[in-house]
Amino acid sequence: MDKLLLLAMNGLIWGLIIALIALGLAIIFGLLDIINLAHGDFFMVGTVLAWATLQSTGSFWLAFLVAPLIGFLLGALIQRVVIQPIHNVAALSIVATFGLSLILQESVRITFGPTPRRILPPIQGTVHLFGIDYEVYRLFAAVVAIAALVGFFIFLHHTRLGTWMRAVRHDRDTAIAMGVPAQRVYILTFAIGFALAALGGVVAAPITTVDFRGGVDILPFCFMAVIIGGLGNLPGTAAAAILLAFLEGLISSVADPTVARISSLVLMSAVLLLRPQGLFKGLTR
Amino acid sequence: MTSAVAIERALLFALAAFLISVPWSIPALVNDFWVSVIAEILIWSLFAASVNLLFGYVGLLSFGQALYFGFGMYGVAIGISDLGLSFWPAFGLGVAAAMAMALVTGIFAVRLTWHYFAIITVVFSLIVYFLALSNKWLTGGDDGINFTLPATFSLGGKSWSFTDATFQYFFILATVALCFWLMHRLIGSPLGRAFLAIRDNDVRASLIGLNVYRLRLIAFIMAGFLAGVAGALFAFFGRYASASYMFYHVSGDAVVWAIVGGAGTLLGPLVGTTIFILVREIVSTHWEHHSLIVGVVAILVVMFAPKGLVGLWHEWLTRLTERGGAAAVETKLRTEP
Repeated sequence: MDKLLLLAMNGLIWGLIIALIALGLAIIFGLLDIINLAHGDFFMVGTVLAWATLQSTGSFWLAFLVAPLIGFLLGALIQRVVIQPIHNVAALSIVATFGLSLILQESVRITFGPTPRRILPPIQGTVHLFGIDYEVYRLFAAVVAIAALVGFFIFLHHTRLGTWMRAVRHDRDTAIAMGVPAQRVYILTFAIGFALAALGGVVAAPITTVDFRGGVDILPFCFMAVIIGGLGNLPGTAAAAILLAFLEGLISSVADPTVARISSLVLMSAVLLLRPQGLFKGLTR
Repeated sequence: MTSAVAIERALLFALAAFLISVPWSIPALVNDFWVSVIAEILIWSLFAASVNLLFGYVGLLSFGQALYFGFGMYGVAIGISDLGLSFWPAFGLGVAAAMAMALVTGIFAVRLTWHYFAIITVVFSLIVYFLALSNKWLTGGDDGINFTLPATFSLGGKSWSFTDATFQYFFILATVALCFWLMHRLIGSPLGRAFLAIRDNDVRASLIGLNVYRLRLIAFIMAGFLAGVAGALFAFFGRYASASYMFYHVSGDAVVWAIVGGAGTLLGPLVGTTIFILVREIVSTHWEHHSLIVGVVAILVVMFAPKGLVGLWHEWLTRLTERGGAAAVETKLRTEP
């Protein structure tokens, strides 16, 4: 029973982190119509930046500022230089982001090295919770993830930039006619998408390992969240990420992790075929 | 335009002459190793052609073709090592397994289009990949299955098999060339024209009476056939099968090769595959980070040659031969719904 609770808690918290990353994928998908195959690597870059910040300054906390900022700038640069010239032609953007994924992985392999490394949690110790001893850092990670999720939705609904993003997504031509600078909104969206994934990377770095292949597993998981939550349905995406990770955590406690992964994939196929609008229909378009 | 056709025909003959001369010219110029690299390029370009058939001619971007490649491989490997089949029945089993899997998954997949199609194909391939990983008794998982090669032909006391490098090369060349020729015939046929109609506008295609769902399913099974033949050849070529060839990275490679080479052109996949495998083979001996070059090349090509290298070549050739003439008729590839 204790083990079950532990795995369920782990799944829940991992789901919150995945929700952050998947949200980045969802806004890029929804707004730019791009299947971003490099998104897992954006997360991986976040974990590496966390490690680099810790190495060079000795402070892990600084990474919470540095990694999303660098991610934001890199995202803006990538959108402007690579994505914009191909006019958002989806097939080409898949190839471009696949190339981007290779470039990011290899660049990290050259600079950071091929061996995975671990980061010790900046907060040590455990706390007694529901009858089990639970790592404090994981609870802290959950708080950060929730804060970032809430912050993102406030940004999206209560600031001018967020309104612009929703406007361009809803009806690009009308938005442009109303004076919304669509190109800048695209750059901003891609940059925020990268920053969210990088922030997810920092939060997750002490829980997983820092590895140049770290994004390969994350990518299918984020896509599952985006599909099951419904394309363009951002709260649905976040909810689906948490649900999926929680379920995989639960199933992994009684069966092989592969069985857990297969069940989520089967669930995803069913959603795609039967409810392509996502499990939670009707919250947004 | 006639001179453009003449140039292309001459190039095609040159390519054919080169490919036939490979077992003698390449060992003389470089070494034996490159003969097997060219054989491998031929196999992978057939695999990229299966992506091209779906995307370039029917407008469906499949990100899961590795599944059918893997079934081709496993059909051969399980046929030989578990069922004790000889060469041809094992070959047939591999191709049949790939086509059967394409039928089963295609029934569901071709109900969707565009983004959803790309995602459902990768999901199906991931499901089978994880199943293959966890059922080691059948598939050997990531380690795979090794098998000993049976003879391809035996006549009287003599036999020919893949252990003879020259025979292996010509068998692969003949099979791949046959498949490309079949694809060429297909595109010119009424069925191929129907595919193009669906690619350009599926609503109009259905309004003129084409059964869009059934045609897409037929194309999907045909693409499964091409991927299955490629997988079966690759199993004979490497004498093994492994689940790792079903992973989505393998599918992604084929998509990149086909689009960089030129989707919607017959030889685009061959060009794309050749470039990427040559880069890998030449650079990887000197520098282990050759993926960096692959990534940069992929991005540069989609930025500066959105119709792929063969598309770029066609444009260049028409401009060269038709200078001052009427504007060239452009074949536009529909990439958005």
